[in-house]
Amino acid sequence: MVANGHIPEGQLCRSRTDADVGETLAEALDRDLTGYVVFEPQGSILRGGDERAVLTFEAGVPVLAYYAPSDAGGTDAIAALSGGLFHAESYELPAEALADAHRVEALRVPPTAPADRLTDDDALIERTRAAAPDDRLEDGSDASAVAEFLADPDRIDAIRQEARAEAEERAAEWGLTDQLDDG
Amino acid sequence: MVEAFAVASGKGGTGKTTSTLALGMALADEHDVTVIDADTGMANLLFHTGLDDADVTLHDLLVADRAVDVADAVYERFGMSVVPCGTSLDGFSAADPERLRDVVADLAADTDVLLLDSPAALGSKSAVLPVVLADRVVVVLQPTVPSLSDGLKVQEYARSYGTDTAGVLFNRVQPDEDVDAVADRAARYFGGVTLGTVPESDAVRAARRAGEPLLAHAPADPASDAFHEAAAALDVRPGDAAGVADRFRSAVVPDRP
Repeated sequence: MVANGHIPEGQLCRSRTDADVGETLAEALDRDLTGYVVFEPQGSILRGGDERAVLTFEAGVPVLAYYAPSDAGGTDAIAALSGGLFHAESYELPAEALADAHRVEALRVPPTAPADRLTDDDALIERTRAAAPDDRLEDGSDASAVAEFLADPDRIDAIRQEARAEAEERAAEWGLTDQLDDG
Repeated sequence: MVEAFAVASGKGGTGKTTSTLALGMALADEHDVTVIDADTGMANLLFHTGLDDADVTLHDLLVADRAVDVADAVYERFGMSVVPCGTSLDGFSAADPERLRDVVADLAADTDVLLLDSPAALGSKSAVLPVVLADRVVVVLQPTVPSLSDGLKVQEYARSYGTDTAGVLFNRVQPDEDVDAVADRAARYFGGVTLGTVPESDAVRAARRAGEPLLAHAPADPASDAFHEAAAALDVRPGDAAGVADRFRSAVVPDRP
């Protein structure tokens, strides 16, 4: 189901056809859901498309997000859930069944990111923060980590070089090589 | 006279759309501004501008042979020309990203400042085209390691295509973050100027709920003040509109045998 981190099928515990994302997040928190929720926009099935987005949870707290149509993961995938109602199916799984997927950094989201970006519910955001384990609330925003990062020119140079190489490689794939600055 | 800016960040959640519209509204005091939702896969500018029900959007313009005039997708809102994008997957599937250059060329002929709200991703041609087409990029950052890292990445992509950085904007800054120190150090690695630092604000969420840009919904909010200052720090360079339009038209055209 999820690229680079397979999620086995869980036990269906709830299915709603007119789910609001905020309510679904609140329910996951209330139920201490460990597992995942598949969101499908209303009408998607009728249109014959596969517009599913997946959020996984540990003890009610969001861990990763994936949006199938654009193969987007992490916070990029959260945007797919903005606006509208969804057909939402909640599945339970043992935490160890999610471990592989949860190791894929590119898919992980900060615990409060779905509530923060998709709802207007400050209480939900606060409840999610309170329920999140301490080690998940360190999102690289603490001052020492930022200072350390910016004081490491080698690390920054490596990011640039990798991005430059990736940009050039993909330009070739997309037929954009002639648009490159030195192309 | 026109300059096109891609407003970009490597990742979502930095408030890029809020920033695009805020800079656009602030720049509209002095310039004729057109804002385009170039995030064709995950459009959301329409929700920020009360255009949820827009009949014609950028998606329609990106479909070959559809008899839609570019002007039909331009909505005059909040002192700007706004080109929203639709949210349906069908619309996205039917869209040909390469047609963006023609749309941008048409719009460039008629405006001073073009702002392209760019996708928070670099994984597809449609996601990269805005930074390919723009003259310069505005990088929206948060003072966190992931955001800075992603910002460096998007800047490098842009530079690969000869698109320089006009400046960086630190957004959603928490009260306890010493953003000035971060901005000083980050300036060594980012091009352009530090346009400003915008505090996190509840008004942003309220504005989106109301379907209005922040500067229209809460003009006196500290975040709005900060966006005004950031816009003032952006040195819009006069360009030759016809030249820019031609450049867009010739960009991304494959070689013919």
